[in-house]
Amino acid sequence: MSGDAGAVDLTGFLTLTKREVLRFLRRPSNTFAPPFITNVLYFSVFGVILGERVGTITGVPYILFILPGLVVLGAVSNSFENASFSIFHGRWNEYIHEVLTSPLSYAGMVGAYVLAAATRGVLVGGLIAAIGWTIVTALFRPVPIEEPLYLLAFLLVITLLFASLGVIGGLAASDFDDLTVMNQFILRPLVFFGAVFYSLEDLTPLLRDISLLNPMVYMVNGVRYGFLGVAEVDPRLSLVVLAGMTAAAVGIDVLLFKRGYGLTE
Amino acid sequence: MTNALEVENLQKSYGGLDALKGVSLTVPEGSFFGLLGPNGAGKTTFINVLVGLVRASGGDARVFGHDVEADYREARDRIGLAPQEFNVDRFFPIHEVLEHKAGYHGVPRDVAAERAERALKQVGIYDKRDTRFDWLSGGMKRRFMLARALVTDPDLLILDEPSAGVDVQLRRDLWDLVTELNEEGTTVLLTTHYIEEAERLCDEVAILDRGRVVTVASPAELMDRGTDRVVVTLRDPPASAGALSETLPVDDRIEDADLEEDRLVVTARQGGLVAPDLVRELDRAGHEILDMEIKRTSLEEVFVDMTRHGEENESADGEEPDGLADDAEDAADARVETAAAGCGEGSR
Repeated sequence: MSGDAGAVDLTGFLTLTKREVLRFLRRPSNTFAPPFITNVLYFSVFGVILGERVGTITGVPYILFILPGLVVLGAVSNSFENASFSIFHGRWNEYIHEVLTSPLSYAGMVGAYVLAAATRGVLVGGLIAAIGWTIVTALFRPVPIEEPLYLLAFLLVITLLFASLGVIGGLAASDFDDLTVMNQFILRPLVFFGAVFYSLEDLTPLLRDISLLNPMVYMVNGVRYGFLGVAEVDPRLSLVVLAGMTAAAVGIDVLLFKRGYGLTE
Repeated sequence: MTNALEVENLQKSYGGLDALKGVSLTVPEGSFFGLLGPNGAGKTTFINVLVGLVRASGGDARVFGHDVEADYREARDRIGLAPQEFNVDRFFPIHEVLEHKAGYHGVPRDVAAERAERALKQVGIYDKRDTRFDWLSGGMKRRFMLARALVTDPDLLILDEPSAGVDVQLRRDLWDLVTELNEEGTTVLLTTHYIEEAERLCDEVAILDRGRVVTVASPAELMDRGTDRVVVTLRDPPASAGALSETLPVDDRIEDADLEEDRLVVTARQGGLVAPDLVRELDRAGHEILDMEIKRTSLEEVFVDMTRHGEENESADGEEPDGLADDAEDAADARVETAAAGCGEGSR
C-alpha cells in the first residue's frame, strides 16, 4: 500500500471528490447558466406576473412563497442529475474503471460521488435563492432568513438524499434515455406536486392526504420553514425522516458498489 | 521469494459460456511473464478478475499474497494496469488524469504531480500534458495508457495487448521501457498475441486457449518442443530420399526426411542435437556435404500447434459449450495476425 489504509482512503476520497467537483465547476455554462435562466423566468412569470393576481399565500407574498420550492427543485434535480450522469457516463465510457481498480474503499467511492453531487445541489440551490431574494428585495423589502440552521440542515439532507438516489440511478441506467426518464417522469412531477406553487391548505382533504405521501412535500415544507419560519408539517419530524432516508440510500449505494451492480461483470 | 501472482482453479462463466475453466498460474516476483492466447482465449477476463472488474465464478487469485476479493484494496494497490481499451477520463487534461489516478491510490497531491510529470516523460508525451486524451494521436494514447499504469509505482505491471495496432518504433520504445522497469524489479504480466513480443521479452509464458492453460514454460523450452528442420545440401544426391533411409541415424527425435532436389530435409525435435549424428552418418556413407542449415521452429509455430490441438481436443471431447464458434473464428483471426506480425518484424 502507498500508506496505511485509512490515509489512503482519505486521500483517495478527497481526490475523487475534488475530481467530481471540478468536473462541474469548470463548465459553468453547463452547470449554472441553465438554472439561472430557468429560475429568472420562473420568478418573473410565476412570482411577479401571476403573483400580482394571487396576492399573499399563508400570509406571505406569492413570490416569496414559491421561492423555497424552486430552491428545492433546483437543488434536488442538480444533485440527482450530477450523481447519475457522472456514474453512468463513467460506466458508458468505462473511465470509472480508474476508480474501481484503485484501492479506494467502496464507502470512499460512494462518499465522494454523493458529496460532490450534493455540493452542486447546494450551490445551485444557493444561486436560485439569490435570484429570488434579489427580486423579492427589489419588489418588496429585504426579508431575513427566519431559521437559517433549519434551512442549512434541510438543504444538506435533501441534496445528500438525491445525490444518493442519483448514484442508484446511474448504476441502474442502461442508456442515457433512462436518465432523462428518471428526471422528467419521476423527479419533476414529484416536485411539482410537492406544494411548490400552492399551499396544502388549498387542496381538498383527500388530495391533501395523498400529497402527504409525497416525500417532496416534507422537503419543500422544511426549506420553506427555514426561509419563512412557516411550516404546514412539523419540520423536526421532516428532518428526522429525511435524514433516515438519506442514511438508507447511502447504505444501498455502498452495497451496490460492493456487489458491483452495474459496474462489474 | 513471494509470488507476485498465485491463481488456483480460477473460473468465470457468462451464462452458458465458460470464459475461464479453472486457470492455475504462479508468477514469481520480478519475472517477466507472458500470457499468450488467441482472441477469446480468456486473457482479458483473467486480468479483469485480478483488478476487480470481473467477479470470478470460482477459484482463488492472490496478488503478492492478498486475495483479490477479500483484500481487494491491498491487491489493487500493488497493480498497475494498461488495458486494451482506452478507458480514460476525457474531462481533464492528461496530467490531471494521472494525478487523480495517483490520488485514488493514496498518493498525496504534491507527490502525485511529480509522479505524473515523471510518467509522462517516461513515455515521451510530456509536451502533451495539458491536452485532453481525445486529442492525442493513436500512438500517444497507447503511450498514455502505460503512463497511467506507471503513475502509481506498481509492483505488478499488467499490460493487456500493449502493442496492438501500434507502429514498429512505438512497439520498440514500449519494449525498452518495460524491460527497464522489469530489470529494476517490477513484475510484468504481458498478454499478447504477437508471438515475437513474448519470445523477446518474457522469462516464462503461459499459453491460454479457450479458458484453459495449455502449458507454462520458457520460450526456449517451448521452442524445444517444436520440430526443427535440418537442411543438408549434398554434392551427388540420390534419386530419392528412400535411398538415404539406411543412412539416417536411428533417433526417435527424427520425424521425417525428404529430398528436395540436392537438399536433404530432416524434420526433427531438437534439430541442433540431431544434426551432428546426421552429418557423421552421411559422411560415413560417402556423401559429400556442401552446406548445412538448422532452421529452428518458432514460438509462433509452437503456439499455433498447441492452440490448434486444443480445438481438436475440444471437438473430440464433444464438450464445446454453445457460442464458442465465434471464439474459434477469433482464434483463426489471431493466427492471421500473428503471421502478419511475424512478417512485419522480419522485414525490419
